[in-house]
Amino acid sequence: MLHAKVIDATKEKINLTNAQKFIASSKCGASIYFVGTVRDQNNDKKVTGMTYDSHDALVIKSFEEIYKEAETKFKFNNIAVFIEHIKGYVELGETSIIIAVSCKHRSQAYDFSRHIIEEIKKRTPIWKKEHYEGEDSKWLKGNPLIDQNQLK
Amino acid sequence: MKIKLELFGASRDFSKKDHLEFNLKEKSSIKDLRNEILNFIENNFKSNENYKKLVQSSAFCSEENNIVGDDYKITKEQNIGIIPPIGGG
Repeated sequence: MLHAKVIDATKEKINLTNAQKFIASSKCGASIYFVGTVRDQNNDKKVTGMTYDSHDALVIKSFEEIYKEAETKFKFNNIAVFIEHIKGYVELGETSIIIAVSCKHRSQAYDFSRHIIEEIKKRTPIWKKEHYEGEDSKWLKGNPLIDQNQLK
Repeated sequence: MKIKLELFGASRDFSKKDHLEFNLKEKSSIKDLRNEILNFIENNFKSNENYKKLVQSSAFCSEENNIVGDDYKITKEQNIGIIPPIGGG
């Protein structure tokens, strides 16, 4: 069971309670909440906030694919997964992503949750623009989704 | 045929709007579109090398929301998204 959504920061915030409600089940003995937040430093620069950009349709497609692949890989029963990612400007300390997973056992929940965040980092079309003191800002480098050898 | 290129991530710096428009010949491919974007960079940003590298390392997204590479044939007027290297989470 999967919930996947991109949250527009100008309209709402990521809400932990929504995740708790979605994954609650008496069949599950373990729940993991991974919460990503905006931190105040990167590469020795003082960060004041972050803008997230998203290709919404591809993001949802990616979340669904990652979930299905994880189901196939781990073969756990009775799993509930709640994934939400923000888009737009986010202030320091605010939540950019939540991945909530409930499974029968704790080892399953840890494995499933870790797998999802690592795959999102590799392949989900979300981009980050860091804002620094002095109104400077920069798009962060990321992972190309194409094989560079194809282009040579 | 007209192609509306939707901009994402660092490619948003290519325009004040959220897209660019290109006129491609019939039976063009993503490779042709990539070359058109490189020409646009050449003409509008004085050959900005960082922008060129960004275009060269980008994937593209078809109107059907599939990631497509240089061989993909563009058979009709459509919106195509440029997908620069990603880094969310």
